[in-house]
Amino acid sequence: MEQRRKERIDRGIKVRTDGLYALMSWRELGYLTLPRLVLIVGMLILPFVMPSMYWQRVISIVCIYALLAVSFDLLAHFVGLVSLGGALFIGVGGYISAIMNTSFGFPPLLAIPIATIAGAGICTLLLFPCLPLRGVYFAIVSLMYPLAMARVIEALDILGGTDGIMGIDSFPNRWIEQYFVILMVLLFLFGVRRLVNLDLGLVLRAVKDNDQAVRASGMNITFYKAVAVFFSSAMGCLGGACLVHIYMWSGISLFALDFSILPIAATVIGGAGTIVGPVLGCLILVPVSELLRDFGTLRIVFYSLILVAFIVFRSEGIMVYGQRKYHQIERWVKV
Amino acid sequence: MLEASGLMVFYENMLALNNVSIKCEDKQIVGVFGANSAGKSSLMYTVSGIMEDIRKKEAMAGGERITVLGQVLFLGRDITDFKPSKRAREGIILCPERRRIFPECSVIENLRIGAYLATPSQAKDTLEYVFKIYPALERLQKRVGGFLSGGEQQMLAVGRALMAQPKLLLMDEPLLGLSPRIQAMLIRSTKEIRDEKGISIIVTEQYARPVLPIVDYAFILENGAAVLEGPRDEVLNNPDVRSAYFGV
Repeated sequence: MEQRRKERIDRGIKVRTDGLYALMSWRELGYLTLPRLVLIVGMLILPFVMPSMYWQRVISIVCIYALLAVSFDLLAHFVGLVSLGGALFIGVGGYISAIMNTSFGFPPLLAIPIATIAGAGICTLLLFPCLPLRGVYFAIVSLMYPLAMARVIEALDILGGTDGIMGIDSFPNRWIEQYFVILMVLLFLFGVRRLVNLDLGLVLRAVKDNDQAVRASGMNITFYKAVAVFFSSAMGCLGGACLVHIYMWSGISLFALDFSILPIAATVIGGAGTIVGPVLGCLILVPVSELLRDFGTLRIVFYSLILVAFIVFRSEGIMVYGQRKYHQIERWVKV
Repeated sequence: MLEASGLMVFYENMLALNNVSIKCEDKQIVGVFGANSAGKSSLMYTVSGIMEDIRKKEAMAGGERITVLGQVLFLGRDITDFKPSKRAREGIILCPERRRIFPECSVIENLRIGAYLATPSQAKDTLEYVFKIYPALERLQKRVGGFLSGGEQQMLAVGRALMAQPKLLLMDEPLLGLSPRIQAMLIRSTKEIRDEKGISIIVTEQYARPVLPIVDYAFILENGAAVLEGPRDEVLNNPDVRSAYFGV
């Protein structure tokens, strides 16, 4: 009996472009840069493709969720910390930027960087106590903070209380708003990709695999985790800061759990551990959620169904699947 | 009793088992010897069906593509397509490599979990039997599995496998990392289990010297292929085997 099996091998061009030889021909350069160019150019022309006010707003929201999703992916799949704190990052960044703008009169393009750095510092400090621990503690604590924050603001009636902070300056115009968030997503996307391939990223991945072995090598894992949390919360705070200037309002809905959950869903759909996958996931999920707005609260049901379907049928995610198809060919071979 | 023929396992494009056929007669102890990466564990996983489980999980997560070819016959029936749980019901029980006991359950709980497939009276009898061959476990009944020493954990793993009422017991590297004295004790008890319970046993090991005296038939695996097989004495007297697996 003749037996056959399906073989999966790397494309020749993939192997050739692994090394320096990639620079030898245009075709191989193209093979390497094409996927990246598609993403970059696609993101950049998006505001022109959908020039209506409504869809441009959706694009901004997509970008903010994309920042959160990249930050989740970095923490969860390169450091091993499952963060449910997207809402914390958004809230802290948003409120700081709002205060900077209304109380100190900083323009948005100055208030946002300040909020990013200061917010990341505050979030890292808040989360620091649970960094030496392994296990679910980080997830629980990061989930608890945004819930607590919203109640504190409500109960003490500080920072505008339930009304929130109003009268925040918007971006100079909507094109600047669009391109600012899009460029930030691209910057952080490629920045994080670089980061995880640096020595620092190597240590972080090692912490995920076996933190005791990293400790035994004489490294302070709490410090490295704190660095990762700083980068990750910086992305979230940046998103929050942009969000308040887009809506010109900052309120306790910034601590809503949507900001924690949707990035996770996007990461699952896009492909965990690929960094670009979560962005892709946001590009799909957020518009879908907008289209389902007519269904009101029922859209959560559709959402969950999509998520479950992906987990059951394609738990690898779109990006992992796509990368495999791009880099490898399959064929039947005789055994 | 068990007849596996033409087993081939590919992890992606890497060949882990190359056309391996093994056979285990009724009430026999069969030894499978080979170095690291010779394919011993892959063979055990394929026979016990765990490989099918691994293959499905990898396929769902988009990981390595595992291809399993070949045929496994057990008691004259083709069980190639059976799930691991069904194979366990049929009587093929794996005592896994590195023991895999439940570290947060006590000894007695570990044994009870193993008795899931047994009737209450079978469970009671087997429990007594396990305590008879491994008296150390009786003293440690209440101890949490994770706090046992390596040898005690191995006894527990074998005991747990016995509780499932095996007809064919697969022992994957039972002597891994144990002192010579415990090794000798385990080997003695393995022979006892076969003699008293009439259970067929397939045991894999890297170092043949402690195990070979009790086996009836032996296979030598190298790089995924069965390079040599034969009754104990024949293998024992083979000069290549003596130099490679006995350190003579």
